[in-house]
Amino acid sequence: MKELNALGSLVSTGAVASRRDERLKRARAALHSVEARMGATRSPAIAESLPLTPAIAALLPSGVRPGSVVRVEGSTALMLEVAVENSRRGAWTALMGMPTVGVLAAARRGIDLSRVALVPHPGIHAPQAVGAAIEGIEMVLVGSAVALSDADRRRLAARAKERSVVIVAAGPWGQAQATLRVEHSQWRGLGDGQGRLRERSLTVLVSTKHDARPRRVQVVLEHDHAWGLRSSRQAVNEEVA
Amino acid sequence: MSRAKPSSVVATTRRAVLWVPDWPVAAAMKEAGLKTDAPAAVLHGRGLVAVSAAARSAGVRRGQTQRLAQRACPDIAILRHDEGRDSREFEPVAAAAEQVVAGVEISRPGLLMVPAEGAARFHGSEEALAEALTGAVAELSGYECAVGAADGILAAVIAARSVSIVPPGKSEEFLRGLPIQDLALAAMERRQRESVEGLVDVLVRLGIVTLGDFTALPRADVVARFGAVGRWGHLVARGHDVRPPVVRRSLDDISVGYLCEEPAERVEQLTLIAAQAAKELDEALLAAGVRCGRVRIEASTERGDTLARVWRTDVGVRTGAFARHMTDRVRWQLEGWLSGTAQGPEPAPLTSLSLTAEDVVSLGDEQAYLWGGTSGTDSRAHRTVERLQALLGVESVLSVAEQGGRSPRDRVLALPWGQETRQARRVDHPWPGQIPDPPPATVLPFAEPMEVLDAGGSPVAIDRRLGMSASPTWVRLQAEPGQARPAATRRHPSAGNVGWEPTWGQARPVDAWAGPWPMVERWWSEDSSRRAFMQIAMRNADGSAGPAVLACFSAGQWWLEAIYD
Repeated sequence: MKELNALGSLVSTGAVASRRDERLKRARAALHSVEARMGATRSPAIAESLPLTPAIAALLPSGVRPGSVVRVEGSTALMLEVAVENSRRGAWTALMGMPTVGVLAAARRGIDLSRVALVPHPGIHAPQAVGAAIEGIEMVLVGSAVALSDADRRRLAARAKERSVVIVAAGPWGQAQATLRVEHSQWRGLGDGQGRLRERSLTVLVSTKHDARPRRVQVVLEHDHAWGLRSSRQAVNEEVA
Repeated sequence: MSRAKPSSVVATTRRAVLWVPDWPVAAAMKEAGLKTDAPAAVLHGRGLVAVSAAARSAGVRRGQTQRLAQRACPDIAILRHDEGRDSREFEPVAAAAEQVVAGVEISRPGLLMVPAEGAARFHGSEEALAEALTGAVAELSGYECAVGAADGILAAVIAARSVSIVPPGKSEEFLRGLPIQDLALAAMERRQRESVEGLVDVLVRLGIVTLGDFTALPRADVVARFGAVGRWGHLVARGHDVRPPVVRRSLDDISVGYLCEEPAERVEQLTLIAAQAAKELDEALLAAGVRCGRVRIEASTERGDTLARVWRTDVGVRTGAFARHMTDRVRWQLEGWLSGTAQGPEPAPLTSLSLTAEDVVSLGDEQAYLWGGTSGTDSRAHRTVERLQALLGVESVLSVAEQGGRSPRDRVLALPWGQETRQARRVDHPWPGQIPDPPPATVLPFAEPMEVLDAGGSPVAIDRRLGMSASPTWVRLQAEPGQARPAATRRHPSAGNVGWEPTWGQARPVDAWAGPWPMVERWWSEDSSRRAFMQIAMRNADGSAGPAVLACFSAGQWWLEAIYD
């Protein structure tokens, strides 16, 4: 009889404990959802790494971490491609100091133009303008002719890290976690007066902060499904000494 | 009802119709300041579309030419046709009718409908309702009108024309003996009226002259022979409705004006004016219990120019901060005008300012986004963009959209953030000769000169028949700013360069090319262009493959339009 009683109390305390856990979990979930809705949260759940689109996934297989700076040299199309996946997930994109960006190319890649703010010439207010953009926009693309000093860049990178904002920069940026330098860009589809631009493969030199040795990767950026299969392609993914 | 109802029949509504005879001419005469008993007619195209009573008694008829009308009645006033005026002038009539009944449907200018049941109960009888409507319209708007009531749209319209009231359930009987031509009276749009007139024409030739003859035909046969318009006519001629009346409370645009005592040209003055006007508009909106979707800002300058622009106000985003937000918008815009940085007429001191709230909806009626309200991310981004606008100026932050066009530059519509415009060109039009996809990632805002050279180093030329002088072998772009100094040595006067000339970079070999594609646009206008486009893939200096460019040849000169980088 005594044993039975003990067992009963054990069961009841277990039940109470589990019920308390349950309530705690529910309360946390509710708090999380409210924070997420207000945009106030900086929880690690959101800080998971963003994948790149399948076309360029080979460049950074682990994706882009929110709060990092990616430097892209030599191709505006590649800059836009890096921003696509984030925009597809509902993020806003700011194009700062890119007066010549092809908006149509951005739209065709999958960037939602209704969530794009274009600041062609930030001028002398560039540090404040990029800073203001980082405060509320998740994806900030910075052109090469933006008047930022190294100190500005450092400060902006720190703020981007704090706010989990991805900066894609065309110009030099010392704090860049990854640098994508386009070495060759080979267009296919043109002939000697006939054809049209169809497909392009880029040879990109990828260097990241974690990996001392840069890699050379070839990706196909503008893929024409109807046409591209005719050309043979060899995948290049080699380490460069 | 003994028969099973066809599924498309909606419940037939008892309705009262208010009809102003010869509306286009009545509105035109009022605007022209003529007396109502003067002979007048409205001319559209080659024929008269409406004739006043005095002119009709002199023998002028609809559809006559101007010359015939003037022969019948030498002192007739021929007035211009203007659909905008017709709708505009009808607003006071609708407003007067709204003093009597709660909601009206304006079917077309000159004709409005009222669901009769509730209103008749309120006023005692349909006769009393008709009397109240006629009295209110005559008193408040100054137009003579006729009111009738019946079941179904066609019977009600015809009843109004004969100022009669058809008892409930008697509409089919009432319509049976009427001529088939009356069917067109129930068509409210011009396109619909044309198709109904076509139907009537055929029916008359088939020997069907009354509505009763028409309704006696089997419905299935009518549908098989005449399609949708036959089905519509068959329903309407039997006194049924095809859709319930769409009653809306017409909400006027709310407007506030501000007249400057002395022309304002300093920013401090403008700030005060903007704040004052925005506050008044906010209060006016609040007093009316409404919200607005857009605000039109209009200002007139000392030189007599009018500056107008429409801004979106996102209802979901800012609740309560409307006045402050509008103040900023107005101030930015006026500053832009006065400083001459924004596009528009020449800057001049402002004499008056008016704010008009458009797309007015009652509080609580505003439409949320399809997937729920605005999210935290969206409202944060909106605030950020507005902060950027405050920092850099309203014209420096753009929103972009795709529009129709042929060259990559034409296909993008960039507007100051928050500004509303009609989309200039439709995307879904065919646009023959469009530069094919993929679109270039770099589009120069203005085309830059470039050189396309043949193997011998002389420029390639394209003649009017798209014949090329030689195949392109070298491409020379302008030197990038960083390399301007070494390039400048090549344009030193000692090297034979005299006068203005772009600083050229190194010539790059052509890898492959396609074209030329002709594009002749807007030959009828000032900004006509006649161009030939070419896609050229270049090689880098070390011989490896490089980016491609979109070049265009126009007026003997090559221009760099875009870079596929």
